[in-house]
Amino acid sequence: MQHKPVIELIGVTKSFTLASGTFQALKQVSLSIPASQLIAITGKSGSGKSTLLNLITGIDKPTTGSITVNDVRIDKLSESALASWRGRNIGVVFQFFQLLPTLTILENVMLPMEFCDRYPKAERKNRALQLLEQVDIRDQANKFPAALSGGQQQRAAIARALANDPPIIVADEPTGNLDSQTASAIFQLFAKLAQAGKTVIVVTHEKEFSAWFKHTIAISDGVID
Amino acid sequence: MLSMSLCQQNLPLMKISYLKVLRDLTSDYTKNSMLVLSIAIGVFGIGCILGGYSVLSREMTTNYTSTLPASATIELDDSIPRSLVDRVKRLPVVKEADRRATLMARMYVNGRWYPLLLFVIDRFDDLRISTFHHLSGATEPALGTMLVERTALSMMEAKEGATLTVKTQPGGPKSVRIAGTVHDPALAPAWQEQAGYGYITLETLHWLGETQSFDQLKIQVASDGDSAPRITEQAQTVSAWLAKQGYKVGEIQVPPPNRHPHQSQMSSIMTIFIVFSYLILLLGSILVATSIATLMVKQVRQIGVMKTIGATSGQIAGLYLFMILILCTVALVIGIPLSRMAASVLYTRIANLLNLELTDTRIPAWVLLLQIATGLLIPLLVTAFPVIRGSRLPIRKALDNYGVSQSGQTGASWLAPLSSIRFLGETFLLSLRNVFRQRTRLAMTLGLLAAGGAMFMTALNVSSAWDTNLRRIYTQRLYDLDIRLTNPTQASEAIAQLTHLKGVRQIEVGYFAPASMARQGSFAVTHTYPDKGHGSFTIQALPVPTRLLNPTILEGQWLQNRTANEVVLNQLARKKEQKIGDSLILSIAGKPTAWRIIGFTEDVGSPATAYVSAEAFAKISPPTGRTTMLRIAFTNRDRTYAKPKINEIENRLEQAGIAVRSSVPVWLLHNAIAAHMKILVNSLLAMAILMALVGTLGLLSTMSMNVLERTREIGVMRAIGATPTRIHKLIMWEGLAIGGLSLTLGFIFSLLLSTYLGRFIGQMAFRTPLSLTISPLAFGIWVSIVGIGSYLATVYPARRANRLTTREALAYE
Repeated sequence: MQHKPVIELIGVTKSFTLASGTFQALKQVSLSIPASQLIAITGKSGSGKSTLLNLITGIDKPTTGSITVNDVRIDKLSESALASWRGRNIGVVFQFFQLLPTLTILENVMLPMEFCDRYPKAERKNRALQLLEQVDIRDQANKFPAALSGGQQQRAAIARALANDPPIIVADEPTGNLDSQTASAIFQLFAKLAQAGKTVIVVTHEKEFSAWFKHTIAISDGVID
Repeated sequence: MLSMSLCQQNLPLMKISYLKVLRDLTSDYTKNSMLVLSIAIGVFGIGCILGGYSVLSREMTTNYTSTLPASATIELDDSIPRSLVDRVKRLPVVKEADRRATLMARMYVNGRWYPLLLFVIDRFDDLRISTFHHLSGATEPALGTMLVERTALSMMEAKEGATLTVKTQPGGPKSVRIAGTVHDPALAPAWQEQAGYGYITLETLHWLGETQSFDQLKIQVASDGDSAPRITEQAQTVSAWLAKQGYKVGEIQVPPPNRHPHQSQMSSIMTIFIVFSYLILLLGSILVATSIATLMVKQVRQIGVMKTIGATSGQIAGLYLFMILILCTVALVIGIPLSRMAASVLYTRIANLLNLELTDTRIPAWVLLLQIATGLLIPLLVTAFPVIRGSRLPIRKALDNYGVSQSGQTGASWLAPLSSIRFLGETFLLSLRNVFRQRTRLAMTLGLLAAGGAMFMTALNVSSAWDTNLRRIYTQRLYDLDIRLTNPTQASEAIAQLTHLKGVRQIEVGYFAPASMARQGSFAVTHTYPDKGHGSFTIQALPVPTRLLNPTILEGQWLQNRTANEVVLNQLARKKEQKIGDSLILSIAGKPTAWRIIGFTEDVGSPATAYVSAEAFAKISPPTGRTTMLRIAFTNRDRTYAKPKINEIENRLEQAGIAVRSSVPVWLLHNAIAAHMKILVNSLLAMAILMALVGTLGLLSTMSMNVLERTREIGVMRAIGATPTRIHKLIMWEGLAIGGLSLTLGFIFSLLLSTYLGRFIGQMAFRTPLSLTISPLAFGIWVSIVGIGSYLATVYPARRANRLTTREALAYE
């Protein structure tokens, strides 16, 4: 079945001004990403894959071109509108987990709901616990991140990314800091999410996990191959 | 750990984001305690000073006005019958009137004669003007007894019921019993003036041998009692009426209406303290700002993450402002109660110094409100910039943050030529470049340290300038003892008594008299208070040339012509509009005389004084050859030498029947003025120490931030061979370089501040600015504080940087 594209980039260029001159990280990129898929973005270091991810999440803005996510032209949104939009529409998973160290795992998961004022206050805790259950670390809910293993922290980060029930999950090298067994478990989790209707985009350069992805976007020197 | 306990608690009502703030705060107790302390110090200072000031200011007015002070006192040359008082009362411009006499007698205490100011009261049972409060014993002193002002008992070394030997000008010594005590808030404490205060009836005055009667008419004007010009105008009207009735008016005394004699001094001193307190609060806030900026550098990735999961810049800013609010609140909770305790100590002590009875010690609510408002607002305003800047950081920048920004490095380009100076060493040069990488932060730290240093040096500079200025008492007065006689005495007779005394080097005689500046066609007006001291104006007639006075001439010249009616005014006597060559009418004993101004002097420790030639003065006042003022120089100016000598001189004069009205050694004058301002100088020093503390905390904060930001960079340096010692040196030189820069700025600021504050304090105390004095001690101490502080501020960051392994440092985010 052909899914309707959830993300669409048309003629996107991203340039950075450096002391040595202007550097084009992405050159006239156009692509469509269908919904409810587990998609990989691959490429060498410096190829432009993280820049592409930043543009899709609204973390950065394109120099030229348009980006539409879920029918919203995010390149036109203001910073504050983007923050709110991102919180509700995109869940981000980082390579180094980036859990807030002074909050417990449960509180880390509840925090996006508070920022975006999603779900009634009384429901937030139960929802967070359900998400932790979903990623198999409910028993770690009241611990601080430092007390958890890398794999458990990444699961917690995934639960946090799901907190506001966003249609899109974006993960930047999510297994780069994990052993292969834990990494497999994380990809399994992503696959489940895609099956449940989420669009999961994963930036990776680990070829051994390519079997998990239906679609792969390969990028080199700022151009999609 | 609070963070753990907060974790275990179920806090359903608290937002997760606020919980994060609380945990962040409790994760570094030491540092956050320092921040709280720095704000609390400022809040404490403001509360203590304003609290003390508000109570004292209110009580000073309450106490003073409770005596129903006279708007004006009209001195007559004749005695005032009661019928005249009744007629004056009926004048439309007069609300109340009474008659009084005031005279200076002497009391014998512990082997010495001291001045005793006697107030002769008409009706003790019907006091309606210039009253006092009865405390104990008799309410009306019987014949041969007196009531005594409460502060005079210690001067008299006596208690109620005791007798005191009292001598007036014409009478011999008589024993006067102390029949009761009163409190007169309009008078300075007796020990401060080194005099006694007694209240007697006219009968007792005559019993003491005096013949004079009531010669002062005290009035309260019917309207505009708060306006000195209006009071003067109405007092002139009454005086004109009195003259028309055939009475001879001497002078009109109009003290500043409803203002205690010490009100303006107290306000001035308190103003300085308030300014310093606000500066401390501002510095504390800058410290909080730099520390919050450190925290935001530390949490820049967390900010990026929070924004990624949906937080807006406003929400992020709100979190950090909430953090500052908590710091401020804790500071207020600590600072406010302590400030109230300190305020109570302050107002109690000053009330004692001013002879006030505190009737209501409640600190007004506005002080608390102001403390809260400034304790919250100033830190919030100062920290707003780093908070807003940090919260608006783009997510990509926040997430990509690897340490110190590259953009800040361009400023170091002008340091490039230094590379060629070999002896500076590579480590030092690198440190110097690092100093200029974060210029905004550098500016904040420099501002904090320089302000702290400037205020520290200013406090000591002003203290030193004060001492230098006060020492001029000895260079301007070449005599060691100033004796005022009760009656004009033949000069040769007085000199003969003393000239052969061992240790007496030189004697000079002169004449002094209370005076006032008069205008043609109107009565002479002075601003003298009823104690005859505050606001007084005196004329001193001196031999020309004078050998025991070395005046500092500001304009014009000193007295040279023995016979000409020429006058030199000191800075307290000079009026703004007066200039050399102007003519001036001086009223002496009610007699107006014209003088020409030939000079202006700057005296230290003198009241408002007009200097004239004794010969010229003799033409209008006592017969030639008579004196009321003796100035004696000893062969040894040492205080221990002078002390027994003074007793010897006084006894010799008394034995010869020459009544001494007062004798003031120069060292006593010096010490009295020094003691008056000691509280100010000591408080300035206390403030200076707080400044030094806050400044050093600021440097510690900055150095921690500088090193923290460069953790990864330090890892790289370690990886390419930098030893821990070299890293330590690198950080230490950076701290010392910042300290060195702040020294230069602080020194320049201190010159400006010392000039301004010296001018302010000098004007307040002497009506002349204190000359700028640079205290080498102050500079030396501040150099040591900055040097040691800078070094210590780098120890922790350097140790932290070296504690991380190279791998950890390289992996640091």
